[in-house]
Amino acid sequence: MSVRRVAGAVTAGGDGRSGPGGETIAGPLPGETPARDVDARAVRATIAAATRLEGDPSMTIEPPPDPTRTLAGREVLPTDEPIVDGEQVAARLERFDDGRVRLTLDDHGEPLSLAIVVGEARADRARGTVVREVVVRGWRIEVEVEPERRALLRERARRGAGAQAHEGPLEVHAIIPGRVVAVSVKPGESVEAGQQLLVVEAMKMQNELRAPREGTIERLGVEAGQTIEVGDLLVVIT
Amino acid sequence: MSATADRPFRRVLVANRGEIAVRIIRACHEMGMEAVAVYSDADRMATHVRLADHAVRLGPPPPGESYLRIDAVVDAAVSTGAEAVHPGYGFLSEREAFARAVEDSGLAWVGPPPAAIAALGDKLAARRTAASVKVPCVPGTLEPAPVDRPDEVDAIVRVARDVGYPLLVKAAAGGGGRGMRRVLSPDELPAALLAGSREAASAFGDGSVYLEREIMPARHIEVQLLGDAEGTVVALGERDCSTQRRHQKLIEEAPAPGLSEADRRRLHRMAERLGAAAGLRNAATCEFLYDRDGSFWFLEVNTRLQVEHPVTELVSGVDIVQEQFRIAAGRPLSARVRAAAERAARPTSHAIELRISAEDPARVFAPTPGRITRWKMPAGPGIRVDTAVEAGDRIPAEYDPLIAKLVVLAEDRSGAIERLRRALDEAEVGGIQTTIPFHRAMLDEPGFVDATDLSTTWVDGHWDGPAARLPWARAALLAAGLVSIDDGTRPDVTGVGAGSTPGGGGRPDARSDGGSAAWRVGGRAIAIDRWPA
Repeated sequence: MSVRRVAGAVTAGGDGRSGPGGETIAGPLPGETPARDVDARAVRATIAAATRLEGDPSMTIEPPPDPTRTLAGREVLPTDEPIVDGEQVAARLERFDDGRVRLTLDDHGEPLSLAIVVGEARADRARGTVVREVVVRGWRIEVEVEPERRALLRERARRGAGAQAHEGPLEVHAIIPGRVVAVSVKPGESVEAGQQLLVVEAMKMQNELRAPREGTIERLGVEAGQTIEVGDLLVVIT
Repeated sequence: MSATADRPFRRVLVANRGEIAVRIIRACHEMGMEAVAVYSDADRMATHVRLADHAVRLGPPPPGESYLRIDAVVDAAVSTGAEAVHPGYGFLSEREAFARAVEDSGLAWVGPPPAAIAALGDKLAARRTAASVKVPCVPGTLEPAPVDRPDEVDAIVRVARDVGYPLLVKAAAGGGGRGMRRVLSPDELPAALLAGSREAASAFGDGSVYLEREIMPARHIEVQLLGDAEGTVVALGERDCSTQRRHQKLIEEAPAPGLSEADRRRLHRMAERLGAAAGLRNAATCEFLYDRDGSFWFLEVNTRLQVEHPVTELVSGVDIVQEQFRIAAGRPLSARVRAAAERAARPTSHAIELRISAEDPARVFAPTPGRITRWKMPAGPGIRVDTAVEAGDRIPAEYDPLIAKLVVLAEDRSGAIERLRRALDEAEVGGIQTTIPFHRAMLDEPGFVDATDLSTTWVDGHWDGPAARLPWARAALLAAGLVSIDDGTRPDVTGVGAGSTPGGGGRPDARSDGGSAAWRVGGRAIAIDRWPA
């Protein structure tokens, strides 16, 4: 049996993002005062946990500042030449039916036209964000979008919570469905980064899941023989 | 002549699932034959079940309880009145016991005879057959290596010195890299022999291992053979399958780029000699390594239809599956096959196949079973898509991750690459990650495009999935963010539900209060008379 190494999806606990459920993308958390200096329409886009890879970027996107200006005789839309991370970029979005869009970017002075599929918004109520599946050049990427004002408040709250936040428990979630064929660790056991935690069989392959960092196994969410789905909690490391 | 009068069989059982079952059922119907499908509980709603004329349940989803059950498959064939069994590839296709069970039940086996399956399935026996007809084998041993005899360690270490390092310990019954160990120096050899033998014993029930020199870098080039009951064996042409990852093929093409007519003739004759010596009938493939010095080294014979057979079909003009049925019915090779074999060393077109699999190229090709929510495959001139998948289908975790083969035919190799690029532009797959982005990247890889750097180890040494994904992750963030901004500011929508508003094309976004209106034509808002707050 061939063996591949895969990392699980990792979410750090205690970062203040898992607030009370029920909020929508449209407004700030209950009781919060919106920051005054940020455009109310600005959004923060992040790769959602299900498809996130280490080192993946996030992005703040604002509509252009002057909506009355015309671009080459054409009315400016809020999605034309947006401000990305504080810098205006030569990008333009056109929407077709069935979620298809064309994103035109500047590629070293040449326009690069990308056919992209942007799925319907799914509200992630626990996080107060929406998630969309995006398919670009065959890559399927889930993008989490929230109002920039809310993202800033969240970051401020996290800074206030102190520097110990990143020392919190680390939850390892399944990124592939399959069957757990072996569990190699026990609660209370200390593990090294890269140490095998469990083995998941899917599509004739055995997939080794390894510890993303060193720590102690606080809890196991699965046992050998169990069938798992994407997103299931596998292990908590403290 | 009507199809019915000419048909090789009246009814055929297809002992497989997925795209290959569909491909075989299509051949049956084109020849006026009825097709019987078999299925596991995971495939009750599958395309191959629906396309067939009859279907028989085999058992629960695990292959060992369904598609690998010789008794259940043979019973299904007998009870439905099938006259022949086509095994496809994988599952039971290379099991001598299955072929025998089919023949013992009085049915025709659509593949090489059981004896040839047994003789060629043992790689050591195949190497000896090759050596007997002067087909050069990869340097190594021809007999099983002693694995647990301390007194013979010195002898095998001496043999290994002649073979040369690095070398490979390989399983005689092997396949897919199982039982294989790479050995760099003599002191690693005894442990590698033991470990390889143990893995082979557990995977295949046969722990025999042998030594082979590692030929690297090398291209993987294979020859499609067809043989009839009269003992005629012909080569239909060769395929280059060098783009692999850990012995799993990803891209295949015909013909192999850069070979001269003389190279091709030499290669095809070697394969035919070997096939004839092994008593081959029906369809089989003879695999070789091609090193940088221009030498071919025999590797193994696959006694079944290959995944990548369509590239040979497109270039040769022969429907290999239909030909398999004619041969199984006892007919001699058709005039069309003989003519195609005559022309095989002088190909006049080029075909390339991309394997689209449910695997994530950014996460070391980890499997991605799940529900396909969007499925659009390319069409137009020169395109063939072999698949059993539709939007809404669930890709089960129990089986092979291959979900579609995108095959193109063009005048030459560069035309085929251009055609693949435009074809991939048209493909849309949602719900699961596939290998499509890997293929897009390969079509921009200079060493692949000009065929100057084809080798079986290229992908393992060069592919960096996360790095390849990064620029497109940025584009995804921007697109999703802009769509959200657009939804939040469009006059006709408010709040979260915005994205679920269907359509947007050619529809007036008029608000009931008449305060603003925007027409969306071809998806683009052409007038917004009020800037939303």
